[in-house]
Amino acid sequence: MRIDIKLTGRLYNKIVRDLARPHPFAAERVGFVFGRVGLLADEGALILLTRYQAIPDDQYVDDLRVGARIGSKALTWAMQALYFGRATREGIFHIHMHRHKGETRMSRIDSGDIPKLMPGFQSVSNEAAHGIIILSLNHGSGWVWLPTRKEPIPADTMSVIGAPVGIFERRITK
Amino acid sequence: MSTDRFSRQSFLGAYAEDLISQCTIGLIGLGGGGSHIVQQLAHIGFQRYIIYDDDVVEESNLNRLIGARTVDVPASTQKLHIAKMTIYGLQPNASVKGFACKWQENPEPLRECQIVFGCVDSYKGREELEIACRRYLMHYIDIGMDVHGKERPVIGGQVILSSPGELCMRCMGFLTDEKLATEAGLYGGAGSRPQVVWPNGVLASTAVGLAVDIVTGWTQRSLSHAYMVYDGNQATISESITLRKLKIGTCPHFLDTDVGDPILVDL
Repeated sequence: MRIDIKLTGRLYNKIVRDLARPHPFAAERVGFVFGRVGLLADEGALILLTRYQAIPDDQYVDDLRVGARIGSKALTWAMQALYFGRATREGIFHIHMHRHKGETRMSRIDSGDIPKLMPGFQSVSNEAAHGIIILSLNHGSGWVWLPTRKEPIPADTMSVIGAPVGIFERRITK
Repeated sequence: MSTDRFSRQSFLGAYAEDLISQCTIGLIGLGGGGSHIVQQLAHIGFQRYIIYDDDVVEESNLNRLIGARTVDVPASTQKLHIAKMTIYGLQPNASVKGFACKWQENPEPLRECQIVFGCVDSYKGREELEIACRRYLMHYIDIGMDVHGKERPVIGGQVILSSPGELCMRCMGFLTDEKLATEAGLYGGAGSRPQVVWPNGVLASTAVGLAVDIVTGWTQRSLSHAYMVYDGNQATISESITLRKLKIGTCPHFLDTDVGDPILVDL
């Protein structure tokens, strides 16, 4: 099943600028980006990202075992935003950046921790697609939990519709 | 991996060949304008195409349809077939998804594209394409030409770039309610308009140039929108005066959140 992610150049630049900012104690930043779904041919899905929410500095938890950990206040905010976006089936994507070039994948900590958020997101907004996006310095990868699906589907491409266009293709197998 | 084939366009950047080959291009209308565009894209190295045209070659097309031959008239060859032959002749490994129908009858494949070229005849057709491109996040590049007047004919035309999150064709003063209403009032009674090959070539070349710039970024200008006006009598193409005088910086017609499949909400 084909899954593509798209976002505008403006939104991409806004996300990258925020995630690149140093944090007072966390080693990296995370954020939430919202997205809606469009149908592709052959029952594929297109995730169209709409807006980004940075997480305020004081909503991070100081935890030396991970690059960044966010607290309950940020998660509560995300759940509320999802609740209010249910009518438009707006889903939420956890997003962060790995500071290297080329295609990236979930680290051991990423794959252990972040997917645990998805059942909660799905319980609040069960008709939307949710997921995880990890950017690198010049690439990006996504994992999408479609409505009612328990397992993620890796996105085939992520396209930045700006000038210049960015097309990040998945080469790493599942 | 650069090949000798691309050696003369290496100024486009070290990664240009890869970027061009990864980009999926949509093309609506494969007639006078679209046939020029498809030919140039294939020469440049684009590999992925989603193309639509429900028409066949007629004798009146032979004055401008690139790739068409005299034998295509009695054979009623689809314009789609002409475009595919042009692409495969230059890029045998290209992926071409072609549809001999109106794009509205099968819109899902188009949504994969990063860039869509619109070579349609009507304002309504342009408006519908732009709306789809905003909703599914695709750059839209519009071309069109017309000949006005009979005593002293004047050839005019336009190339417009409308990108998601940036100024749209209404913002740029090209699409107006008045134009749409006038066109609707004709109820298809406008008849066939004059079309000739060389203005289509100028407009198509300008449009392809915009696309290559967007994909490779070779000019290093951050192109958010464009409205170029063609004067076929003076043989000039220049930025629209309307655009130069424009006071607005953000589009009030399309919201960033109006994307994806429309949702029907119970009231």
